[in-house]
Amino acid sequence: MSTQVKMLKSHEWAKLEDGIATIGITPYAVEQLGDIVFVEMPDIDDTVTKEQQFGEIESVKAASELFAPMSGKIVAVNDDLEDDYNVLGRDAFGAGWLIKVEVSDPAEFDALLSEDDYKATCTD
Amino acid sequence: MTQTLKTTPLISRHQAANARLVDFSGWLMPVQYPTGIIREHLNTRLTGGLFDVSHMGRFLISGPDKLAFCRYALTNDAALLVPGQSQYTLLAADDGTAIDDAYLYCPSETEYLLVVNAGNLRKDWQHLKNLSAPFDVTVTDISSKTVMLAVQGPASAQVIADLLTGASVPAKRNEVARMSYRGHTVQVSRTGYTGEPVAFEVIFPAEAADEFWDACVRLGMAPVGLGARDTLRLEAGLPLYGHEFGDAPDGTPIPIFASPLARFGVKMTPGRPDFFGGKALADQVASPPARVIRAFRVTGKGIPRAGCEVFHQDKSIGWVTSGTMVPYWKTPGVDADGHATRALGLAWINRSAAIGDELAFNVRGKLIPGTLVKANLNNRRPPYAMPVVSDSPS
Repeated sequence: MSTQVKMLKSHEWAKLEDGIATIGITPYAVEQLGDIVFVEMPDIDDTVTKEQQFGEIESVKAASELFAPMSGKIVAVNDDLEDDYNVLGRDAFGAGWLIKVEVSDPAEFDALLSEDDYKATCTD
Repeated sequence: MTQTLKTTPLISRHQAANARLVDFSGWLMPVQYPTGIIREHLNTRLTGGLFDVSHMGRFLISGPDKLAFCRYALTNDAALLVPGQSQYTLLAADDGTAIDDAYLYCPSETEYLLVVNAGNLRKDWQHLKNLSAPFDVTVTDISSKTVMLAVQGPASAQVIADLLTGASVPAKRNEVARMSYRGHTVQVSRTGYTGEPVAFEVIFPAEAADEFWDACVRLGMAPVGLGARDTLRLEAGLPLYGHEFGDAPDGTPIPIFASPLARFGVKMTPGRPDFFGGKALADQVASPPARVIRAFRVTGKGIPRAGCEVFHQDKSIGWVTSGTMVPYWKTPGVDADGHATRALGLAWINRSAAIGDELAFNVRGKLIPGTLVKANLNNRRPPYAMPVVSDSPS
């Protein structure tokens, strides 16, 4: 079963499995932000829309918007993060997941950037 | 891009340490080192932090009329200083708002040293030059010939004692001494911007910068960038020009006496000759400003930042001027107990607001609860700065 990860240029990643997208932010974004001190999450059952804001991630100095790579309904939110935001730095693609979405259009996954294409945008 | 930014003599040290360098008021300065802002804040409170603040302006004031000039141009009364003392002070505009806040040091009988904010250097210089015309006084900008470092935290006194000779290490807040480092004269003051009870600022010739920096690091002082400098001062409730002085988030110019700390920086000593801005300041004493700067802590989840509106019982009472998330040691001085974080800040709000009042902050459309507090930090139990985290309002 493929656990291919794809990205938005705005540094969010998604993995799609059985109609559920697990979404987070990339290690590059975590590194750029510095110490993360707060993540404003949506609620379960909220709707998210591709490339629209679903939350906010805050470093000491600033708040940055989080954009949804895919559209759908929130089915899970990672509440454990607030115990230790350093998880984002240690395991951005794993334990650092932010939300899980029951996707409304799986084809949106194809339009996302591959990891290589995303990395190329980071060095622009 | 970087060639247009100024750098301090310590830039090579920041680069060698892989600091994240940013444009701060036209200076390329470290906002953090790889350690990160959270850890740098915690290091300062636990053992000590080393800050390069050489970008700040340093003006030497000398000549026969130096005292009269200082008494005219600055809000605190320089006549209250004897050699070996320093004072918080402000450059007031004639409408009673702040042009800048500053520190005046009296290291000897022959001169004063005024330290001003980096971002206001040009403006302050011009203002002082204008005011100096009728006085037989010389104002010299020695910023580029010197460095200024802050050495703050519980272990800092030992570091100063180990590295500097020639005089006693200043023991009381605001004391200033001339000491020696490898043949260079160093002005050492018991002053700082972190809220640490044991805290020093040192000013000395640029040639000795690298050596002194390295020596402090070897003795265990952690390099700290401007990011943690801001979280530390905010936890301590200290004002920052551009936030608690200057214009409020709604564009209103903030009167000097809106800040509770103004009383330490403004002195209408009986018999003091008229000073620039003095009339407007006397008016503020007679009719206190409607809004004042107050400390708050957040009780809900979220981080009110500068510009967030503040509500009390559904009425708008003002604006956040500075806000962030800061870390604190659960047991000051004991790293084994770990640390936690809390959101807090300063707000410019109606003076009728009382300690303990339940507030609500509009953070991007969501109302986050908080409380007005007397202070978020106290230093009544040195050598550690004590975070005030309990639910009790004081």
